Amino acid sequence: MEKLSYDAVIIGAGLAGLMAAHEISKAGYSAAVISKVFPTRSHSAAAEGGIAAYVNGNSDPNDSPDYMAYDTIKGGDYLVDQDAAELLAYKSGEIVELLEKWGALFNRQPDGRIALRYFGGQTYPRTRFVGDKTGMALLHTLYERTSGSGKVDFYFEWFAWELIRDESRVRGVVAFDMRNMVPFFFKAKAVVIAAGGMGMLYRHTTNSYIGTGDGYAMALRARVALKDPEFVQFHPTALYPSDILISEAARGEGAVLKNAKGERFMTRYAPKKLDLAPRDIVSRAIITEIKEGRGFPGGYVGLDISHLGEEYIKERLALAYEAAKTFSGVDATKELIPIRPAHHYYMGGIDVDITGKNPDVIGLFAAGEAACVSVHGANRLGSNSLLETLVFGRETGNEVVKFLQSFTEPSSDIDKEAEKAEQSAYDIVKKESGVHFGDILEKLRDYMWEFVGIYRDENGLKNAVSEILKLREQMKNMYVLDKSKVYNTEFYNALELKNMIDLGLVIASTALNRKESRGAHYRTDYPKRDDQNWLKHTIAYLSGNTVEITYKPVKMTKWKPEERVY
Amino acid sequence: MSLKNEEAEVIIKVKRYTQEKGFYWQEYKLKVDRFTQFTEALRRIKSEQDPTLAYRASCHMAVCGSCGMKINGEPKLACKTLVLDVIKKYGSNVITIEPMDYFKPVKDLVVDLDDFYNRMHKVKPRLYPSNEVLEGKAEHRLKPEDQKVLWKFAQCIWCGLCVSACPAVQEDPEFLGPAAHAKGFRFLADPRDTITEERLKILIDSAWRCTYCYMCYNVCPRDIEPVTAIKKTRAFSRLAKDKTEVIKTGEKHTEAVHSSIFDSGKIMGSRVYLSTYGLLGSMKEMIFLMQSGKLKYALVKEKAVENIQEVRKLLRG
Repeated sequence: MEKLSYDAVIIGAGLAGLMAAHEISKAGYSAAVISKVFPTRSHSAAAEGGIAAYVNGNSDPNDSPDYMAYDTIKGGDYLVDQDAAELLAYKSGEIVELLEKWGALFNRQPDGRIALRYFGGQTYPRTRFVGDKTGMALLHTLYERTSGSGKVDFYFEWFAWELIRDESRVRGVVAFDMRNMVPFFFKAKAVVIAAGGMGMLYRHTTNSYIGTGDGYAMALRARVALKDPEFVQFHPTALYPSDILISEAARGEGAVLKNAKGERFMTRYAPKKLDLAPRDIVSRAIITEIKEGRGFPGGYVGLDISHLGEEYIKERLALAYEAAKTFSGVDATKELIPIRPAHHYYMGGIDVDITGKNPDVIGLFAAGEAACVSVHGANRLGSNSLLETLVFGRETGNEVVKFLQSFTEPSSDIDKEAEKAEQSAYDIVKKESGVHFGDILEKLRDYMWEFVGIYRDENGLKNAVSEILKLREQMKNMYVLDKSKVYNTEFYNALELKNMIDLGLVIASTALNRKESRGAHYRTDYPKRDDQNWLKHTIAYLSGNTVEITYKPVKMTKWKPEERVY
Repeated sequence: MSLKNEEAEVIIKVKRYTQEKGFYWQEYKLKVDRFTQFTEALRRIKSEQDPTLAYRASCHMAVCGSCGMKINGEPKLACKTLVLDVIKKYGSNVITIEPMDYFKPVKDLVVDLDDFYNRMHKVKPRLYPSNEVLEGKAEHRLKPEDQKVLWKFAQCIWCGLCVSACPAVQEDPEFLGPAAHAKGFRFLADPRDTITEERLKILIDSAWRCTYCYMCYNVCPRDIEPVTAIKKTRAFSRLAKDKTEVIKTGEKHTEAVHSSIFDSGKIMGSRVYLSTYGLLGSMKEMIFLMQSGKLKYALVKEKAVENIQEVRKLLRG
């Protein structure tokens, strides 16, 4: 197998990966970024509404980083590690200012300073934005910055498949060049997994097609734990029926949710915060309206932005306007936008501390949606994810630098492991006949949506676990029709499916275990939050068909759990 | 409110490619509804009918730029195009999908974009702020109206459609192409940037090589108007040092057009030609025109418009 050698290999070229790569290369270490797609195609580009930040001298005069941390902790239903939330809040201003220096075109106030707006769960408005294409704007800025230094090697349209580790530490990554299917062993002293989320596990998702949970599954196979895997966020306002995200910014700017009877139904569910309640609450409210017969035929409700005025809409909510028009044929300046909840974000992820370091394997780090720091707890607040990618991407990059400074070369040979990993990829599809990835994939997406979705219960979850195990068995008969070595996307789709099934099993199993409702994890059979028994992080390992579950305490600093009302 | 739904059976003919077989067509039949995007149609073909089909797609909401291809001959983002709209527009349930033009084919709808990325990187696509700002001794302020102008041109998603559709790119290796110019202008015009002179060196000569055919304007899925960026870049021409022949000719041409309109209210073709290319160059051209029997057009005598004062007022702005 061909070999390359780097100080650090970063898997994923979204905001978190690029930020980590930037920091590592700036310190003089060699860094390779491996991505399935060209960096600007990463899912970070799809983030819309904004990035939360307390900026000194440019925030609401009553606001403070402490309020921001508190909002984040309460929004996350107290499963948030409070030291992480504080770090996020206290570094938010400087990260936004950094991106501004690098040329990000934030919307401005009349005096030229960066503008701000409200997002769900915020006590004071603190979301900074570039129209409603904030993710795209920041991703381009950061890619353009990182690619300009010439110090980071980009391997885009490469498929990272397996982590290589020895007894105690990470040794590299096996990846395929998608153009010709040649496997490479990227030897590395440190590996950062920043491979993003997993939306394709769900029938309805706002995520990109590339979000197939590769990073999580890669970690699981390397005997690394996922933290809080049962916490899956559903976004209340995905466009019906294409599931394209209609940014929460719409509600931040004053949009109102209405049912088929024309009622502003959020008065029933969150009388104080109304349409700006956190996402889990609004998602459940919408599903309840639809289930109880107050939705529109087909199963959706309406989002009204028409009163904001055409000019304002086209400037601040351009994408929402365009998406409604292009994909649902609705003129949002005059009509309701048809919306329903869809999968949106994964709060769970590779277990790391606030420096991005994983406790299971020395030299392994994770950042962004792939990681669970945990800063979102049981439910993420809108515009905290872009912030997380950059703040913790940078923290992780700095920690990798520290790690490299004290690095000692291991003596054991690891090449055999890499060859085994290459073989394991081919093993998945070595059959000459059987099933295709599509046959299994579509079932998985339905089971996840049906049984491991917005509302969960014991029977459904048990059903999900057993069905996923069946799919995992079926996968042994998977084969690839395309025998070509050139850009063989069928082969990679099959590997992605393997990743999705492993992750799906862990999500369903841990959700079955958590017998309470907290944030986005809502059990109809246990509708109350239970701090006595469940104020703790789930830690899950995958071993064969068994999901090994343990728990660890949530880090508390100054906020005691209280009832979460909005 | 209830959304109108319609369904249709569609035959999608995909122009496929492998290194071994070259190009060949393959047909797929599927049912679509009013909301089916081409990316979704392709996804369904791949997972339900033919897993061997290769294409790129990521965000399915027209912000990542992965899925550029030709749909019934039109350069489009597959995600931003609804199948039913195309059926209606062409009055046929048979639709062709082909890879983008100009770029080398890799497999099926996947093309090699290295040439495109090289063009983008040539224009130094990043802000070079002042040291004071980088060191935290000063802060940027940007007027909302400047932000608006820059943001228009900053929204390029690197999809490559404009380059694939640009005839000048194919003819002139020195022309950077529409997307790179949009990106280049976005930084050239940014008041926070400090390397204007270097940017002019990269951009001005190339800007005068655009033929103003407006293909980029027509195909851009984000309405960036690269051609407008090129026009605005040309306005920086007078600041350029060490002017190339292309720049000099371009400036002369603009000057000639301006003075022709100032004097007569019209573009007097032969006069503009003469001022732009000089007597010798124009005479060579005359011989060519004579040979092709088109000299009579060059010799048409045009009269100045009436109310020339009004035209001059407009020109002065």
